[in-house]
Amino acid sequence: MDIKTLERLQKLNQLKLTEEETEKLMAFFETAGKDAEILDTVNTENVERMVYVMPMTNIIREDIAKKLFTRDQLQEQAPEAMDGYWQVPRLVD
Amino acid sequence: MKYETVIGLEVHVELATKSKIFCSCSAEFGGEQNDHVCPACAGMPGMLPIVNKKVVDLGMTAGMMLNCDINRVTTFDKKSYYYPDLPNAYQTTQWFAPICVNGRVDIETSNGPKSIRIKQIHMEEDAGKLVHDDWTDTTLVDFNRTSVPLIEIVSQPDISSAEEAIAYLERLRDLLRFAKVSDCRWEQGSMRCDVNLSVRPVGSDKLGVRSEMKNMNSLSAISRAIKYEIARHTKAVENGETLIQDTRRWDDNEGKSYAMRSKETAGDYRYFPDPNIMPVVIDDEWFDGIKATLPELPEVKRAKYIDELGLSEYDADQLVSSRALCDVFEDAVAVCGSAKEAANWIITDCMQVLNKKKMTADMLDINGTSLGQLIKLVSEDKVSRGNAKRILAAMFENHIADVEAYAKEFGFIVSNDTSAIEAIVKEAIASDPKSVADFKAGKEKALMALFGKCMKQLKGNANPQVLREILIAEINKA
Repeated sequence: MDIKTLERLQKLNQLKLTEEETEKLMAFFETAGKDAEILDTVNTENVERMVYVMPMTNIIREDIAKKLFTRDQLQEQAPEAMDGYWQVPRLVD
Repeated sequence: MKYETVIGLEVHVELATKSKIFCSCSAEFGGEQNDHVCPACAGMPGMLPIVNKKVVDLGMTAGMMLNCDINRVTTFDKKSYYYPDLPNAYQTTQWFAPICVNGRVDIETSNGPKSIRIKQIHMEEDAGKLVHDDWTDTTLVDFNRTSVPLIEIVSQPDISSAEEAIAYLERLRDLLRFAKVSDCRWEQGSMRCDVNLSVRPVGSDKLGVRSEMKNMNSLSAISRAIKYEIARHTKAVENGETLIQDTRRWDDNEGKSYAMRSKETAGDYRYFPDPNIMPVVIDDEWFDGIKATLPELPEVKRAKYIDELGLSEYDADQLVSSRALCDVFEDAVAVCGSAKEAANWIITDCMQVLNKKKMTADMLDINGTSLGQLIKLVSEDKVSRGNAKRILAAMFENHIADVEAYAKEFGFIVSNDTSAIEAIVKEAIASDPKSVADFKAGKEKALMALFGKCMKQLKGNANPQVLREILIAEINKA
């Protein structure tokens, strides 16, 4: 991991790291990179990629609309709400 | 040097489901803000998505209508996304195994026929709505549309003009509406289009730098935007300027496009499989079941209506403009046996009622079999045309399974009881000696006045021919 990649990741994740955090993360990625190198030495030829731990498929439901919660219930714990909307810091693109 | 344009379209279509893609909230358009929301689509921790089967059904249907291969094992992935209209900070979509791949849409333009290849169709969730509040200087979030099911249809860069783009979009809309995949209403945002466009010297096999215009929602805007972008790109290439790959916003009022941001690459989205949604496996039974529901293509129906049922080209065109009209028409013909009559009732009378209700043809929701029964009753002179229109209006409100029984119950059956007609005719003659005298003196119109009076008394339920005969006979006796 070089500093440029980390800067790019910060931008993509919309994060602003302090110098201290940057140092800490660089050290973390250093170790993680070494661990990944060890994993890379395992021969995985002819081994299918495993994404789903449980051998399950087709967890699906029928198309029936239900109303299970009221807006007030859902917004009870919202940090900020106004006129039935969730309220968040102004978005700038 | 001559240049050619290379266009690929990404079309988002909202699917015609009752509920959202991963939760049971209503997927209906509109509603009060945050009225169609639950902990799952509001992104609360610990909530798990469960796939709506109908979304897979409609995704498959779309793929079959567009000549795609269906992936029998299809999976969902997470795409990084940082706007609050998707509260999970990712969009659940399909990247590694989309439901459909390798399709084709055939179009006609002034240059003749052309095939536009489809790269893939994937299922995904829509984002919510953000409202910027100047008063509090905050952003307000409405999650009603969050997780409403979409398919995104990605074309190959086979389109080379605005005309071809419009022909492709119109064909896509016709096919998807016919298969009831979506109502495809541009004005409600249930069909939206991103345009990817670049320009290169004719004969070059290298693509030029591309710009993407997002969320266009009318055909005329798309056409104007494409023409503008072709001119902008060509001018830049001719002047040796370096174009930047960017995402642009089209301002239809100004007739200009503006750069919004430099374009992310696929890597920036950091797609990864969603471990909370198990793979969807489509077995033969499921696949064949969907295949059996595919409608005939509009052009096949049109040919059949003209060649086999003897309709005029005009009538056939009117009917195939909407699947709903075709369905009612075919059911009605099966009962009444007269294609011409059924077409007239639908194109004239049903459309009149729909227009009055400010509804579109796609919203025609009467029972075709009942309409067939009604047409039959009229052709057998059992119900007058005027009263049949009243019954038709009632059909728009309630399902009437047995139209004859309904007509009897509400007194709409034409009376064959000549004695009842005679009694009313005698009364009318006695009360209006002037009209009788006028008719006898040769004024044909006077008969109509008497005829109208009698028909009103009979509530329209008399055979006009019989009534006329009795009227003349009684006048002559008077």
